[in-house]
Amino acid sequence: MDAKDILGLPKNSITQEKKSRPQKDSQRKPDGISREVYALTGGFPPLIPAIEASQLKKRPPSDEKITWQWLPFTNSARKDNLHLYHWVRIVNGVPPTGDYSFAKYNKSVDIVKYTDEEYEKYLTDPMWTKEETDQLFELCQSFDLRFIVIADRFPSSRTVEELKDRYYSVARAMLAARAPSPGDISGHPLVKEPYNVSQETERKRALSMVLSQTKQQERKDAEVLAEAKRITESRMVARGAEESELPVPSNAGPESAERAAIPSDTVSPSANVQHPSAAVAPSTITVDNASILASLRMLRVYLRTYALDQMVQAASSSAGLRTIKRVEQTLQELGVNLKPRVPTKAVCAEHLELRREILTLLNLQKQLQYKEAEGSSYRDGSYGDTPGTPKHLSHGGDQDRIFVPDMNFAGERIGKRDQKRKAPGRLSEAPLPAHKRPRKLKAADL
Amino acid sequence: MYGGDEVSAIVIDLGSHTCKAGYAGEDAPKAVFPSVVGAIDQMEVDDPEKTENNSGSALDAKNTARTLDSDKTKGKRKLYVGSQTLGFRRDHMEVLSPIKDGVVVDWEMVDSIWDHALRECLLIDPQEHPMLLAEPSSNTQQQRERTAELMFEKYKVPALFLAKNAVLTSFASGRATSLVVDCGGGSTTVAPVHDGYVLQKAVASSPIGGEFLSDCLMKSLESKGITIKPRYSFKRKEIRPGEFQTVDLDHPNTTESYKLYSQRVIASDIKECVCRAPDTPYDESAYSNIPMTSYELPDGQTIEIGADRFKIPDVLFNPSLVQTIPGMENYAEIASSARGLPQMVLESINKCDVDIRRELFSSILLAGGTASMQQLKERLEKDLLEESPQAARVKVLASGNATERRFSVWIGGSILASLGSFQQMWFSKSEYEEHGAAYIQRKCP
Repeated sequence: MDAKDILGLPKNSITQEKKSRPQKDSQRKPDGISREVYALTGGFPPLIPAIEASQLKKRPPSDEKITWQWLPFTNSARKDNLHLYHWVRIVNGVPPTGDYSFAKYNKSVDIVKYTDEEYEKYLTDPMWTKEETDQLFELCQSFDLRFIVIADRFPSSRTVEELKDRYYSVARAMLAARAPSPGDISGHPLVKEPYNVSQETERKRALSMVLSQTKQQERKDAEVLAEAKRITESRMVARGAEESELPVPSNAGPESAERAAIPSDTVSPSANVQHPSAAVAPSTITVDNASILASLRMLRVYLRTYALDQMVQAASSSAGLRTIKRVEQTLQELGVNLKPRVPTKAVCAEHLELRREILTLLNLQKQLQYKEAEGSSYRDGSYGDTPGTPKHLSHGGDQDRIFVPDMNFAGERIGKRDQKRKAPGRLSEAPLPAHKRPRKLKAADL
Repeated sequence: MYGGDEVSAIVIDLGSHTCKAGYAGEDAPKAVFPSVVGAIDQMEVDDPEKTENNSGSALDAKNTARTLDSDKTKGKRKLYVGSQTLGFRRDHMEVLSPIKDGVVVDWEMVDSIWDHALRECLLIDPQEHPMLLAEPSSNTQQQRERTAELMFEKYKVPALFLAKNAVLTSFASGRATSLVVDCGGGSTTVAPVHDGYVLQKAVASSPIGGEFLSDCLMKSLESKGITIKPRYSFKRKEIRPGEFQTVDLDHPNTTESYKLYSQRVIASDIKECVCRAPDTPYDESAYSNIPMTSYELPDGQTIEIGADRFKIPDVLFNPSLVQTIPGMENYAEIASSARGLPQMVLESINKCDVDIRRELFSSILLAGGTASMQQLKERLEKDLLEESPQAARVKVLASGNATERRFSVWIGGSILASLGSFQQMWFSKSEYEEHGAAYIQRKCP
């Protein structure tokens, strides 16, 4: 311990390492291989064990005597008796018996064979001579029915479809001729699904058309299509723009917009979207109405109250929930029912108009409050500034200006009050147009 | 296991530029040497007529009897085969190639090449080993019969098989259907393989190969005033440590063909080191400011190569570029009739049946010595993507290893000859004796 202190080594670390190391070793070392050999692989087991560890330890020298000899062999797949040589594993001096192990892979397709008489009887064809047919069958035999290669090696230039057609028709004819009764062969694929030359030719022609379109042509096609799309879209835009320019009151406006909306649904959203600076309330109203009218027309039969509800919802959709509540509150204060008792067309229109005006009023009131707050903050700010700074002068100017707006504010307040008064006056008039009450004096009249 | 059974077959691939030979079952051929022959006529001074006969007469390959007769009338001609023997300069030695335009014209030379490969390089007795030979994809029946005769009569092999180059390349990459683009020394061939058989009517070939490109490079350098001195024509002496002095040697009896052959060796080395396929079609103005690469010739001269680095490989894609290389005017007609590589590929595919076109597009294999040029695969893929139809997915494959690309035909032969299920397909000696050489057409389709 003292030595460790002198050397400056940390205490207990080495003992700890010693303890951990043997544990790790015994975990990692597999049976059958010595530790040093295992360490050659990097000390970790391979991802895919190549050799079973157990195999390496086991396997005592076998009692059999194994030698390798260079011996000739025969191959049953060959027709001549060529003797080639290869290495053979001899066990106890006895060479292995049996055929060449690869002979079993010699497979070939069974090609229909016909004799001359059969040819004369069944297989004559005006387009094919006997020599050609014989050649075809020979090639089929040597190339195992690889028709593309056969077509390539065929002396006269016949297409793949013609060759296939001839081969399959001959095979079918032979099958039919040799079968004892037609019923036997009806299940055979040659009879059930005959080779269709015209269909194959057509298919290949279409495929070659697809494959012969080069990249440049593809690009040109794509360009043309994009151009066409652009043209149609611009046409729709022009039509939509025309509609939005129509004046608000005309009923023809929304109706034509609606008519345009119905035939092409895609246009109305684009018309809506592309309204340039169409924050003008009337046009949005028209559009809203248009879309609602459109949806209503779809119903064909509907209640006016339902229609009114839809309109009200649309109109108040831009406002928040609180605002809607305040609108309804105002209506109640004025003594107007939230839903008109006699929902005729005129009544509903006026009701809607009333709601809109209340909404506008509330919005203006909110804006007024904001401006007031701003103004008051200017005023407070001006008092807090130190004198002698150029700001002071400007604030002096501001003060002047402020006092004037103060007057204006006061004036506005008065105006507002008057407006408030104005509104109810009008409100009270609206639902009862029949009553002709004398209008109250308004500040604006002064 | 892939079902292999080694019968110690020998695979020989006699190309237009190099001959490769080795044991089946191995990774690479043991014997690789140029497939040209140095010929010295033994009786040159005494018989001027015979010398005329000897140097450059193409033998008629049809008639074997006539060949033997002309052998006798020609007199003896000593043939030197192999890179070692060819590297040594001899007086009056002509360098001749047995293959012209893909067709064998001189069977005696082919015989000597095989002899050199089997007896001197591989040191085997051909009687004990079945032989697999690689033949060009568009070989005539006549040539095949002649090959079979020579092999069976002279070398007495127990069994023979002739396989087409394209099929072997396809097997080397493990596919039964593919489009093989073989950029060899003498020519470039595009051949589709379907299910292990070449579709002969759709094979496209062009005479522009690696040797043509080397010639272009040589002429281009000559026009710039750089002469390539063949190795035998100088000697370098060390005057001071690190400094060499070149002394020109004069050998008046060296033939012109030998000089050309030696120069070509150097030019092809330059081409292999320096040339790269350009990413876009070659344009004189675009490449005029390219930085030059330096290369040191064997005689100590250092040359700078600039635009030629990209111009020469672009000849493969655009053969009409040849006309802009001064000195290559006599090859202009060849170049004008030849088509570029992407056009050949498309032509070949469009001649095939519609059903297999898609598969061919997605497995285009590159093989051959010239295919190991840098960036060739990428350029070919890019060019094909432009021209090919939208519906087809174009994929060009090439083994990453340059050695594998050069020897892909041989490697395919090595794989084929060591398969267990191939052993039934040999054309054996007894079959040859029974049916004759024409039977090879049936046995080796």
